[in-house]
Amino acid sequence: MVEAEKIPIVEMHNIKKNFGGLQALKGVDLVLHHNEVLGLVGDNAAGKSTLMKILSGAYIPDEGEILIEGKKVHLTSSWDARQLGIEMVYQDLALANNLDVVANVFMGREVVSFRLGPLGVMDEHYMERETERLLDRLKIDISSVRLKVDSLSGGQRQAVAIARATAFNTKVTIMDEPTAALSVAAIEKVLDLVRELKAQGNSIIIISHRLEDIYQVSDRMMVLRHGRKVCDTPVTGDIDSFREHVVAYIVGARDDFAEEGSDQS
Amino acid sequence: MVKADGSKPSFLKDLNTLLQQNIREWGMYIALVVIMAYFTIATKGIFISSRNIANLINQTGYIAVLAVGMTLVIIISHIDLSVGYLSGFLGAVAATAMETWNFSAATSIFLIVILGALAGLFSGFLVGQMRIPAFVATLAGWLGYRGALQLVTMSKGTIVITNEAYNAIGNGYIPDISSTTFLPGVHKVTLILGGLTILLYIWNAINSRKRMLSYNFKILPRHLFIIKLIFVSILIAGIAWILAGYRGLSWTAVVILIIVLFYNFIMTRTVLGRHIYAVGGNPEAAQLSGISVKKITYVVFCSMGVLAAISGVLYSSRFKSATTTAGTLFELDAIAAAFVGGASPSGGIGKVTGSIIGAFVMMSLTSGMNLMGIDISYQYIVRAMVLVAAVVFDVATRNRKKI
Repeated sequence: MVEAEKIPIVEMHNIKKNFGGLQALKGVDLVLHHNEVLGLVGDNAAGKSTLMKILSGAYIPDEGEILIEGKKVHLTSSWDARQLGIEMVYQDLALANNLDVVANVFMGREVVSFRLGPLGVMDEHYMERETERLLDRLKIDISSVRLKVDSLSGGQRQAVAIARATAFNTKVTIMDEPTAALSVAAIEKVLDLVRELKAQGNSIIIISHRLEDIYQVSDRMMVLRHGRKVCDTPVTGDIDSFREHVVAYIVGARDDFAEEGSDQS
Repeated sequence: MVKADGSKPSFLKDLNTLLQQNIREWGMYIALVVIMAYFTIATKGIFISSRNIANLINQTGYIAVLAVGMTLVIIISHIDLSVGYLSGFLGAVAATAMETWNFSAATSIFLIVILGALAGLFSGFLVGQMRIPAFVATLAGWLGYRGALQLVTMSKGTIVITNEAYNAIGNGYIPDISSTTFLPGVHKVTLILGGLTILLYIWNAINSRKRMLSYNFKILPRHLFIIKLIFVSILIAGIAWILAGYRGLSWTAVVILIIVLFYNFIMTRTVLGRHIYAVGGNPEAAQLSGISVKKITYVVFCSMGVLAAISGVLYSSRFKSATTTAGTLFELDAIAAAFVGGASPSGGIGKVTGSIIGAFVMMSLTSGMNLMGIDISYQYIVRAMVLVAAVVFDVATRNRKKI
């Protein structure tokens, strides 16, 4: 058991990805351990989202390999990644506003009570109970799981999106800017939710522009710049020195992985 | 945010909150009742006469069936302009099959249902696979099926259908027990069916209320629940009584009922229905969740094609012939019915039952204004205003709900 836990849950080696002539990723390594929260930061177009889309199967890398719990995998679709327990919560909220919370949590994974030929009749009560249990477990406060997502606040919607991603034996949850466009109170709730998920044993990668968020919830953080990893360090110290430290990497003043001779190709 | 149920409810307050929460859904039922009441008064009772209502249902049939399919198409944020002429064309194919090739009625219907499904799959291919905007893809269908209809009817102009069994679908009524002593002149089987429907409805309503109670669902307060039961029961009884006064339940009505029940079941209870709504609400989210948007597009357009075939059967059998202009503008009537019935132009929202009510609202207007002798030009204007009012009402109530 202890031995197994030592194998990182995710390893990405030398990931490269080009879009036309643009080198979005120039050979990035990433390690995520069991029950760890990894913060991923970097300026716009640093390659954070591209790297995470590769891990969630949305993009296929040009080079490099991905190991999940030590086993090499080939991810060709988000469905593949999901089968392996990797879920991504998208920045633009992958929820259907016209459906209620239950329908959104179980979207694409509806539980069937019996089948009539090709038609599966849904077990609404089971799905409803499970949704309530899930929201309770994550301490998400929504008055009724039968409310349409449309009528929820931004923070509640983000919570539903995260709950949905972590609902089905998820090993790794990737969150792309989970606190963007949220009120201060809602941001706190989302961060509480991240802590709650960690307390329950989840492994999480969180992308954010807000360094305070990363500082508050992450165990370790990684900085990308121009498609390269420039920093990979535990989150320690006080917030001000942390921010100063990180900003130096983001703007390119410091680089832990610079190769000899080649400055910033 | 939402009160589950007040501890000491005052009746009017309950009714008020209830109306506010469900105004969008109930609005069209209220509108239908108001429109029918108005025409009944304006025509001194002719409108509500058994004969006229029976006629109204048979007239609405071929539009209502299209409106059901169109609801699904609109839910996934598409549109199908081809179904009017497709319906006319398939009706003409059925007529040719029976009159020229001597096919039986059943074989002919089977044939055009298959053709309808293929036509729908072709639209689905253009829209889902080739990613051509549905408006353009089905506009091509509109032109193509119009040409095909004229080709089929070219030699004779109008193909008269002589098959009795086939014509009964659009004109016939379900058989009755013959009795001269008990309720003469009243269609007894229709009354019995009406009674059974009421019992089934009450049984079902009480059961689902019990189930919802045990799962802490939001439910109607008891007195309102009983009022609703009584109201709906009276409505069903009233319709059954009116229909029984003429020749009973028409085969067209039976077809509409079966299609509505079937589609309502699919849309509310099955995984397929849930996926159709999900694709309409957020196609990217649906795709990321492992729902194949392409497959749903195929299924929805295919069902639309099948329903166009059934609409073609209802229309051609009702007029016992296939004409060169059959199906003209049916698609727009169906789209109007769906929007009046609460479907949202931006997708994701709509109900099969709503669209049926929408179809009856539109056809009641036509029938009522015809009886009043109102000129056709005014009729179009009135129907336009009702369509606009319905959509404005829909948008207004939806925006208010978002607070």
